[in-house]
Amino acid sequence: MDDLQFRRSIYADPNSADKDIIAAQNADPAKKQFAQEIAQLDQQIKKAMDVDIPEDLYNKLMLKQVLVSHQQQKRKSRIHLALAASIAFVLGISFTFWQSSTPYNDIGALSLAHVAHETMHFADEDHSQAQVSLTSLNEKMADFNAQFSQSFGKLISAGYCNFGGIKSLHLIYQGELGPVTVFVMPNEEGLAFTANFANEKLKGQALHFDHANIVVVGDKNEPLNQWRENIEKNLTWSI
Amino acid sequence: MIKKIIGNKSKAEQVSTSMASKQIRYEALVRALHGDLYRYAYWLCHDKHIAEDLVQETFLRAWRALDSLKDEKAAKSWLITILRRENARRFERKRFDMSEYDEVTIVDTQSLDHEQDMENQLLREKIAKLPEEYREPLVLQVLGGFSGEEIATLLDLNKNTVMTRLFRARNQLKEALDDEPLFRGQYNG
Repeated sequence: MDDLQFRRSIYADPNSADKDIIAAQNADPAKKQFAQEIAQLDQQIKKAMDVDIPEDLYNKLMLKQVLVSHQQQKRKSRIHLALAASIAFVLGISFTFWQSSTPYNDIGALSLAHVAHETMHFADEDHSQAQVSLTSLNEKMADFNAQFSQSFGKLISAGYCNFGGIKSLHLIYQGELGPVTVFVMPNEEGLAFTANFANEKLKGQALHFDHANIVVVGDKNEPLNQWRENIEKNLTWSI
Repeated sequence: MIKKIIGNKSKAEQVSTSMASKQIRYEALVRALHGDLYRYAYWLCHDKHIAEDLVQETFLRAWRALDSLKDEKAAKSWLITILRRENARRFERKRFDMSEYDEVTIVDTQSLDHEQDMENQLLREKIAKLPEEYREPLVLQVLGGFSGEEIATLLDLNKNTVMTRLFRARNQLKEALDDEPLFRGQYNG
């Protein structure tokens, strides 16, 4: 190893453990002395570089970290709260939808179920005296933008009800063989239209209009066609 | 729902235990390396306060990214990499101020005996006057104890460049000291 290269290597790394460098040092006392000189210089450099560390630096570093991680924690718990709130919100919304969505998928089944449901309460009361006037009927029909030009049959009861999640107008007439129920209900998506339907005791007919459906349900032997014709004849839509 | 809450709770416990172990790791890391890092920062910027800020910022980033540190042996070079990046960012933020090194800002904080003091002070000034590209590898080698290869990786240079710079750094220091009559008190006769 020539002198220049040796010096360069020692300058670059005085503590080099390279075996060529060590061998060169051992072979030549001048090189060894040079190496020691530079090693001494390096000690001085090291001492000079070894500046004092601020006493409280460690504590400051720990404090800062604690503060930051505390903030992070707080942010995290806020996120958790927000998540919980969102979940509760979604649950609430879906519960509402689930409640309001109708379990019936066609208009006939819905109407029959509705009538069956009403009859339980209806049968208990005496309706012989009840009579709803055409005016108050038309007030209610106004919600569906419709009205009857004259009354037909004896209207015992007229009221809104919310059955199976659908708000409809519920009219009960005195029929020949029992109450005849007329529903006026808005066109509902997801509810199939069936013109004729029946079960063991009741039968019904549905009429489709632009703005609403009208369903007539009565006893199996009730002449529903007559009712239907009356409705079609007297009903006028204001839009 | 109840199960979910219980599940969450045990998960929260896991999180808190992992937080605790993270805390322990971090404390050990700070304890072991804050001195080295501070000195490195000091020689990077020659300012006690900026060095302190740099170290704080570095350890904060280290805390956030502690999970990415897999090998504890690599911790030092990992921290130095973060610190160098922080230092570079400082220059992005403000380009004025630090462009010219001012001798007066080098403060000797060590209380050695007078002669030693003078020597140290002198050497510090010389080190501080070294071009940055020579000083940095020197600090890494002398203070950090990194090998030529490690310095090359840290500074993203090839090894020969690093060795040349180390050579020049020491060479310049030696020449500067040899020119200085104060040093070693040889001219006393």
